Amino acid sequence: MSTLLVWREKLQNIYAKYSIYILKALQFVTGLIVFGLINSNIGFMEQASSVVCTAGLAVICTFFPMTIMTLAAAALVLVHFYAVSMPIAIVSLVVFLLMFIFYFRFTPKKAWIVLLSAIAFGLKIPLVIPVVFGLLGTPVWIVPASFGIISYYMIDYVKDSATALKSADAENLADSLMNFTKQLFTSKEMWLMIGAIVVGILVVHLIRTRSVDHAWKIASAAGAAVSVILLSAGSIALDIDISFAIVLASAVLGIAIGLVLEFFFFSVDYSRAENIQFEDDEYYYYVKAIPKVGVAVPEKEVKRITGNRPDRRRGPKKSDDEQDDATKTDEILLTRSLSKELGIGQEEDKTE
Amino acid sequence: MLDKRKIRLMTRAAIYEKTYGEEDLKVTGYYQKDYVSLNVWITLIWMTVGYALTAALLFISCGESVVEGITFVRMMIIAAIVIGLYLSLLIIFAIGAGSFYKKRHTQAKQRVKKYMRDLSQMEKIDLKKEKNRS
Repeated sequence: MSTLLVWREKLQNIYAKYSIYILKALQFVTGLIVFGLINSNIGFMEQASSVVCTAGLAVICTFFPMTIMTLAAAALVLVHFYAVSMPIAIVSLVVFLLMFIFYFRFTPKKAWIVLLSAIAFGLKIPLVIPVVFGLLGTPVWIVPASFGIISYYMIDYVKDSATALKSADAENLADSLMNFTKQLFTSKEMWLMIGAIVVGILVVHLIRTRSVDHAWKIASAAGAAVSVILLSAGSIALDIDISFAIVLASAVLGIAIGLVLEFFFFSVDYSRAENIQFEDDEYYYYVKAIPKVGVAVPEKEVKRITGNRPDRRRGPKKSDDEQDDATKTDEILLTRSLSKELGIGQEEDKTE
Repeated sequence: MLDKRKIRLMTRAAIYEKTYGEEDLKVTGYYQKDYVSLNVWITLIWMTVGYALTAALLFISCGESVVEGITFVRMMIIAAIVIGLYLSLLIIFAIGAGSFYKKRHTQAKQRVKKYMRDLSQMEKIDLKKEKNRS
C-alpha cells in the first residue's frame, strides 16, 4: 500500500509540474476518441470522415476550450446527418438547440460532460457514468449525462437505419422526419438508460456525501448495483433487448474505476477516525475527523565512489597549497618506490 | 530587489484576470437588480423558444394519434394542458434564473472587491518604494 501511496505522490508531483501538457494531451486523446467514434459510426460524408479530418479536428480542438470540442462534435454529427437526410439533420439541430437552451446557456464550461457520457456509451461502458459522475460531480450532472445519452441514441438510430433513410425520396421526407422524431422520443431503451443512469448518479452522490466509513466504496457499489437492477427490471418489464454482459461488465468496471478515484481523491485512514463532541453557548457539535493518508516521497541520494572522498571526510578541509604539497609528496614517493622496484636508481648510483 | 509580497499579489491578480476577470467586470457593470431582471427576461425568452421547439417535436412524433378523432372539448383540454405546463415552467424558470443570476452577481462582486483591494495594495507598495527612493 505504501508503494502505491508513494506512486500517487509521484504522479501528483508530475501532474503539478506538467499539468498544462498533460491536460492538453488528454484533450487531444478525447478529441481523437470523440471524432473517431462519430466518423466510424456515422461517417456518411466521405470528406468529413477521413482520418485527416478526425486528427485535424482533434488537433484544432486541443488548443481551444472543451466547449469548442463539444460544438465541433455537434457540427460533425449534423454534417453526417445532412449527408443522409435533410429532415434528420433538422430534427437533430433542434435537439442540440434544446440542449443549449436548457443547460449550456447556464454552464457552458461544463459542456464536456456531455462528451464523456456519449463516449462511455460509444465504448459500451455505460455504467461507468453513474459511478464517476456521482463521485466527482453534483446532482446537476444528471442533465448533461442525459443529453449525452440522447445524443448517443440519436447517432445509434441513424447508424442502424441509414440505408432506409437514404433511400427515402422527396415525397417520403415528411414521413422520415416523423419516423425519426417518433423513434427518438419513444425509444424505450433510451429512456430506460436515462432513468437508470440518473437514479445511479443520485444514489452514488447521496451515499458519497454521508459521513459513514468507506462512503466512496459503498457509493460506487450501490450506484452500480442500483443501475444494474433498474436496467434488468426495466428490460424485463418493457421487453427490451439489452446485453447483460455489457451491463455487468461495465458495472464491474465502474466499481473498479470508483476505487481508483477514491485512491486518488479521497484517500483516508478510517481506522484512525475520531468522533469528537463539544459545545459552545449556542450549539452542540458532533464532529467526525478522519485523517488523510499521505506519505513523503523518499529522496534519492547520489553517492560518488571516487578517489579523494574518504580523505575529505577524515579531517578538516585543507587549503589548496597544502593539497598541492600532499600530491607532490605522493608523486615523489610513488616514483621512488617504482624506481626501487625496477632498479633504475641503483644503476644510476653505480654509474656515478 | 524582489518584493515577495508584491509578487504574490500580482500572481493572485493575474490568476483572477485569467479565470474570472473579464466576465466579472462585465457582470458587475450592472446593478444587481438590472442584471438579474435582464437575464431573467433573456432566460424566459429562450425558455419559450425551447418550449415551442419541444412541443413541435412532440407534435411531429405523436401528433397523429392526438389529432385522430379529436373533439372540441378534447382540444380545449389539450390546449389547457399545454398552456398550463408553459406557465408553470415559466414560473419555475423565472424563480430559478432569478436566484441563479443573483448568486452569480454577488459572487462576481465579491471577487472584484478582492481584486480591487489587491490592486490598491500593490499601488501602496509602489508608492512606498518611490518615497524610499526619493
